[in-house]
Amino acid sequence: MEVKIEKIEDKTMVVLNGRLDTTNADKFQQDIAPLMQGDTPNIEIDCTDMEYTSSQGLRLFLMLQKSVTARKGNLVMRNMKPNVKEVFDITGFSNIIRII
Amino acid sequence: MWFSKSFSTRLSLNVLLIVTIFFIVVLGIVAVSSHLLISEEATRSASNILKANILDIEKTLQTVESTVKDASWLAKENKDSEKYLYHITQRVVEENSNIIGSAIAFDSCYFDGRHFFSPYSYEDPETGELKSKELGSAENNYFTQEWYTVPKETGQPHWSEPYFDAGGGEQMMTTYSYPIKDSAGNVYAIITADISLDWLSKKIDQIHPYEHSFTTLISANGKYLSAGWQANLGSETAYTYAEKLDDPRVLEISKNMVAGDSGTMRYWVGSKLSFAVYGPLSNGWSMAINCEYGDVLERSSQMHMMMIIVGLVGLLIMFIMCYFKIRQLTQPLKDFSASALNIAKGDFNAKLPEVKSKDEILQLHDSLAYMQQSIVTYLEQIETATSAKKRMETQLYIGQKIQEGMLPKNFPNDSRCSLNAKVIPAKEVGGDLYDFTINDNRLYFSVGDVSGKGVPAAFVMAITRVMCHLFADLGLSVQEIATRINNSVAKNNDANMFVTLFMGCINLETKQLEYCNAGHNPIIVIPPDENPYYLKAIPNMAVGVWSGFEYKSENLDLRPGTKLLLYTDGVNEAEKADKEQFGEERLLQLVSKPEFRNLNSEDMVSAVLDAVKGFAGDNEQNDDITIFAITI
Repeated sequence: MEVKIEKIEDKTMVVLNGRLDTTNADKFQQDIAPLMQGDTPNIEIDCTDMEYTSSQGLRLFLMLQKSVTARKGNLVMRNMKPNVKEVFDITGFSNIIRII
Repeated sequence: MWFSKSFSTRLSLNVLLIVTIFFIVVLGIVAVSSHLLISEEATRSASNILKANILDIEKTLQTVESTVKDASWLAKENKDSEKYLYHITQRVVEENSNIIGSAIAFDSCYFDGRHFFSPYSYEDPETGELKSKELGSAENNYFTQEWYTVPKETGQPHWSEPYFDAGGGEQMMTTYSYPIKDSAGNVYAIITADISLDWLSKKIDQIHPYEHSFTTLISANGKYLSAGWQANLGSETAYTYAEKLDDPRVLEISKNMVAGDSGTMRYWVGSKLSFAVYGPLSNGWSMAINCEYGDVLERSSQMHMMMIIVGLVGLLIMFIMCYFKIRQLTQPLKDFSASALNIAKGDFNAKLPEVKSKDEILQLHDSLAYMQQSIVTYLEQIETATSAKKRMETQLYIGQKIQEGMLPKNFPNDSRCSLNAKVIPAKEVGGDLYDFTINDNRLYFSVGDVSGKGVPAAFVMAITRVMCHLFADLGLSVQEIATRINNSVAKNNDANMFVTLFMGCINLETKQLEYCNAGHNPIIVIPPDENPYYLKAIPNMAVGVWSGFEYKSENLDLRPGTKLLLYTDGVNEAEKADKEQFGEERLLQLVSKPEFRNLNSEDMVSAVLDAVKGFAGDNEQNDDITIFAITI
């Protein structure tokens, strides 16, 4: 799983590439640690090239969402592949995280 | 074999090699320089011998010359007395032992009008008796002979070329001629003295500095007066001899000698290197001493041989001494080797040899001692770590057993329903759960998957499973159960753990299913005579995420004989090595097979598990697998 984080003005752009599964969930948690800091974050995650996410991955997105909400920020995930979107839908996560 | 390729042997051999090379180099330098020195010395010595002998022969020849010169005065005074002239020649021979014959040869018609007049006295070569006779005759016309013509024409004394005196002494000789002149300076007679070459040869042959050396004496024209071998004296010249040899330097020597030069030159005779020292005599003759280097260097060669033998013996002694000394010095190494072997065998407190010297051996001792200490320390650490790991493994094993024990095993199997389920954790403990209970006529059942794996997931799994069971026993609706569990888990959930949960409740009499899917995989419904299908459900939020979420349930009427298959994502997301997933489609195809539909609950579980394992092959299972089958 490749994670690219880029700050454009007040918006933080995150580009994900690859599979997020048990083997690299810890690494992903470290990669997104910077997103857990700062006031009123405005984060947009591009999921165009994200192939898959396991339930551990979902847990990390949940953590991120909670962290962003606590800081009165905004989190958007966009361009999810159908199979990934399905996981978010089944687990009800699409009700919590804004997916466009 | 004691003489094995041990360290001491190799070291000794190395030392021996170095010393041998050094010895050879030194010997070579000594040999070359001593050869040069000896050769130079030999040349100088031969040169001195040559000079001494030239002086000696010149002295002898001068006595001959002065005898003849003295006699010429007498002959001049008594030139008319035949008798006295004979007497003079006799006295010349008698006075000088080197002179074997003497003649006073008068010019034609000078004495008493005679054509030939030459009183001649000589030693008879056979008897040694002194005899006299008239030398000149028609057969022995001395006017044509060199000893007469040269001084006659030049008016100077002359040493003749060697010749065989046929009319006089009857042997090989050389003649000294001295012209007798009248007051006008005209030569009217020649007085001579003959020297035997035999005598000269004997004298010269004594000049013999080395075993194979020889001395040659040549006349002004290069004819041999004496040579160290049986040369054809009188006819053979230095040139003809030189032509017999291959080395052109011999000819050069001959030319130099005839030219009256002195010098030294090396030349080869066959394979033998020789040298010649040569120098002129005052009368135009030239003498050469020839020596072979083999003779010259014989003694130094003997000395070198001696040096080699002494050197070899010395090297052998040195090698043996070296060997034993090195063996003695390296003995501690052997002891250390034995100690190290003991350490390697597990005796970490093996005693190390004592070292008294303060050198590398001491360093080795200290290093080994340090190593021993380190090994003991590390071993203790490893033992501690190992026992800690073992304890942890034991506890995990116990945890696994407890977790297994938590899941209900006494599956009902009667006319109303039959159930079966299996959980295969990816690690020792897992986050998957299933539960069922029959409360009155209602069969409550659930399958859940806690996000993550291992011990954290196991805790959440345990409480979730307990709540499922308790709330079911209380007879609550599935909707209510999901809501309560969610609120309970979501509270104090700092780790953001969540559970996807499918809860169902079947009224065993009416066969009506009430279900609530909290973010879990859709279950498969297999009606008795229709195609199996995934059960669509209202997407509720996974449990533990959002406190206060209102869960919604749905109803479905089932017919008797319907089967339900519940599972966790360890099934549909089981992967091959190439990351291909088992997938929901493949699962549906599997359960659609006619033979599958006739299986009982237990065999359905086994069949799905076998299919998943067969699909994944050797690829490591990275998520918990749960399969739960229900038949009503």
